[in-house]
Amino acid sequence: MKGEIEIAGQVIGGRVASIMIREKSGRKIELGDLLVVEEDGGYLIMQVYDLGYGSQIPQSIRELAAGLKLEGYGNGLDFLDPQLRNYVMAQVKAVARVTGELVKIPKVLPSFFSSVRYVTREDMKFLTKPANPVYLGKVRSGSKVLDVDVYLNGDDLFAHHVIISSTTGRGKSNLVKVMLWDITGQSRFGALVLDPHDEYFGRSGKGLKDHPEAKRNLSYFSTNPPVGGNTLVVNLGSISPEHFEGIIEFSDAQQHAIRLYHREFRDEWIEKILRGTQIEGIASTTLSVLQRILRATLSVYLEDDRIVCRNNVFSDSSGKATISEIIKALEGGKLVVVDTSKLGDEAELLIGSIIATEILTKHQEAKAEGKLDEKRTVSIVIEEAPRVLACERLAKIGENIYSRIAREGRKFKVGLLAITQLVSIMPRDILTNMNTKIVLGNEMATERHAIIESAAQDLSTDDRNIASLDKGEAIITSIFTKFAVPIYTPLFEDFIKERAEKFDTKGELIFQG
Amino acid sequence: MHKFAHMADIHLGAHREQVLQRLEMVAFSEAMDMCIEEKVDFILICGDLFHIGIPDLGVVKEAVRKMKEVQDSGIPIYAIYGSHDYTPTGTTVIDILDTVGIIKKVVRGKITEGKLRLDFFTDPKTGAKLVGISARKIGLESRYYEILDVENLEKEGGFKVFAFHSGLTEFKPDYLSQMETIPISYLPKGFDYYAGGHVHNRSENSLLGYGRVVFPGPLFTGYARDIEQTAKGEKRGFYIVSFQDKVEKVDFIEIKPFDSVYFEYDASLKNSLQAQKELTEKLAGLEVKDKVFVLKVRGELSGGKTSDINFSQIKRTLIERGALYVHLNRFGLTSKEFAAVKVMGEDIGSIESRLFKENVGAVRLTHEALKDERGAIMATELLQNLRQEPKANESKKDYGERMVKQTIETLQLREVFK
Ligand SMILES: Nc1ncnc2c1ncn2[C@@H]1O[C@H](COP(=O)(O)OP(=O)(O)OP(=O)(O)O)[C@@H](O)[C@H]1O
Ligand SMILES: [Mg+2]
Ligand SMILES: [Mn+2]
Repeated sequence: MKGEIEIAGQVIGGRVASIMIREKSGRKIELGDLLVVEEDGGYLIMQVYDLGYGSQIPQSIRELAAGLKLEGYGNGLDFLDPQLRNYVMAQVKAVARVTGELVKIPKVLPSFFSSVRYVTREDMKFLTKPANPVYLGKVRSGSKVLDVDVYLNGDDLFAHHVIISSTTGRGKSNLVKVMLWDITGQSRFGALVLDPHDEYFGRSGKGLKDHPEAKRNLSYFSTNPPVGGNTLVVNLGSISPEHFEGIIEFSDAQQHAIRLYHREFRDEWIEKILRGTQIEGIASTTLSVLQRILRATLSVYLEDDRIVCRNNVFSDSSGKATISEIIKALEGGKLVVVDTSKLGDEAELLIGSIIATEILTKHQEAKAEGKLDEKRTVSIVIEEAPRVLACERLAKIGENIYSRIAREGRKFKVGLLAITQLVSIMPRDILTNMNTKIVLGNEMATERHAIIESAAQDLSTDDRNIASLDKGEAIITSIFTKFAVPIYTPLFEDFIKERAEKFDTKGELIFQG
Repeated sequence: MHKFAHMADIHLGAHREQVLQRLEMVAFSEAMDMCIEEKVDFILICGDLFHIGIPDLGVVKEAVRKMKEVQDSGIPIYAIYGSHDYTPTGTTVIDILDTVGIIKKVVRGKITEGKLRLDFFTDPKTGAKLVGISARKIGLESRYYEILDVENLEKEGGFKVFAFHSGLTEFKPDYLSQMETIPISYLPKGFDYYAGGHVHNRSENSLLGYGRVVFPGPLFTGYARDIEQTAKGEKRGFYIVSFQDKVEKVDFIEIKPFDSVYFEYDASLKNSLQAQKELTEKLAGLEVKDKVFVLKVRGELSGGKTSDINFSQIKRTLIERGALYVHLNRFGLTSKEFAAVKVMGEDIGSIESRLFKENVGAVRLTHEALKDERGAIMATELLQNLRQEPKANESKKDYGERMVKQTIETLQLREVFK
């Protein structure tokens, strides 16, 4: 801030995790505000987590004064020097001590009675743009937005998994869209988005398709593609039994049967099951149960001797290269958005499973050959993550590729970006493994507690804060940030207006028949 | 009932060997004769009639003679450009044949207000409406598709055929996953027949919203890979489509100008001497007379060099025993002792383009057009250009100028050198 420093208050007591500050009259300190105390050539950044009244006047006198006013006895009545006697007390915690370039977790209290000012842009200069940056938003102090961009290194961020949580409608998908926008311009990371609401591409309205590099760096797959989009059609031959693991529940007998069919018929195993081809050792009842499961989950069945798929997403003739095409795009550092809005959960998760399995395998092979360096980090974005990461489900149907990635993907540069309303039902170890958590507003106490418990920084005082976050307001807690950074992520539509990068339109096209 | 023939990827002039040159023309003649015999109403060639934009005149002469015969029996030949019907300088043999009326290009349209509007060409005899998009310099046609006004095309009534020379992602076989393709959503919906070219793999497809989408594959064989596939049993030929208001029938007509044998030998765990000996013995027992012989040798030799195996001797022996032609593929043959360079690929072209793609990332480049896939494509193209030899009768000076001009085009430096 230019000119005079704006004093917000003064330190009057407390302890490290709860420093007491008296607010200067006329200031409106908010929950979540960042405040600064300057000292020893450096400064301390503190964050407000609770507010209360303070008064020099005993409670009974205040009550009496209020009574007099309310009942009309003293219209001109007021306290002597009211700003001195009544005030606001802010409870703050120290979050970072900055000395030059150095940012540390604060270990000492600010000097007693030192004056406190609002944070300024300059105070956040240490948040520099890392290599391979992914934009997350701007620093936020309470509900005020500072003009300081927050980026994290994409390789760190994605490989170490991200979880984004809030109650519905607080801006999770919006935030992810903003993050992915940046990636679209970079070709540095691959990202697969399984999009059950078809909200990322921007089929109608703005979306990732509006990125200047979208033609080159974004592939969109849909059962009903717009002009230029890819048809989401997966050949049944691309599916193998392992892709079903933890996605669709099979009994031991069914499990055994599908393995036999696969061994016997390779790429045609599903087709053979649908056609009712018998093999030795498999009861025909098992076969018909399998047919029923495939019909219920993948909507594939036999009709007049032809394999049909209700939503056309699986085929016995088309889509042979769809999976390779997607893998190729991801490995090439592209963003792949798969519109699964017309699919059932199982079909969506299965398609994700096929792709994720291929990617993980490729990266594992690369690692074994000492060539993991040549691979780009790939992130798998999944909405409503408890569909695959809920404790109960994992216990019942077993591990799936998503939980495997959450547990061990980091070693292979494959990460999960899990979006969820519910954190409390996810396994502790998986949550701990997700090294960046982006917390948006959440009214549910159980969820807040689950988030706080698994956070990378101590958020024990942030409960109220999290409850009061508005749309787009978030807290990043990550092993890659020095402290839990409050941010505001703009509305995607506004964000891209601002970013409307100019790009050179290719030379004029001349048509030659 | 009307009928038309749909063929593509004929690649006349692709071969240097006399035997194959002859067979290639035999295949073409047979196909043309078949069209006359079957009394098709017209022939539609979906690109790559010739292997290069300015082919050897001997090849052109033979082909024109045959096409003239077709024309004289009242059958028009319609065509679009393929990816090989291209010269950096513009004019190709297709244009010349179009000018003199031997064939007719059916792609017409213009770009107005950023949209590509195509005009239908109506076959006078059957009333079939043809429209299409030619291939252009590697992948450039995709920019046409991006701005194609599909609405007008979809609105048109009648029997409609869309001719194109591009792979479609949805129908691409997995082994061609490296091939550049476009998604089918670029094509206008609701046509009766989509006549494809470019993919050297025959397939009949359909997908919701699109009628029949057919790739006839090469009529004979264009690339080295093709001849292997043919020898392995893949049928070559073209389609005859019977129609009234709709497609009634789609028949594949096989053209088989030669018999062939495919033999694959795995040399793994043997040294070069053992491999040569065993291979020679195995070949001795095979019937090769009057056949095209495809020999694929692969595996890692446990000792010796791959060049220790005397392949020319092996070839010569097969020819002496009456083989029409021997095609040898030993790209998959490596040696343990000399494994420094390991490349995988089916033929020279795909190995080259893969190497470019893999290595372009290792070079620090600032110019957009040189980066990533674009850079790799440009490099591939440049190599293709520079590999051209002088034509018969071309003076050194003309050759030099042509090469310079093409190179400038390829490098997109026209502006700079203007
Ligand atoms: N940063 C923001 N600023 C203003 N409005 C926002 C912001 N982020 C989101 N919104 C608005 O809130 C709505 C809900 O946002 P979004 O879809 O991202 O929420 P969500 O957390 O993904 O919800 P759900 O859990 O239901 O998927 C959006 O339609 C958008 O208009
Ligand atoms: Mg959402
Ligand atoms: Mn071709």
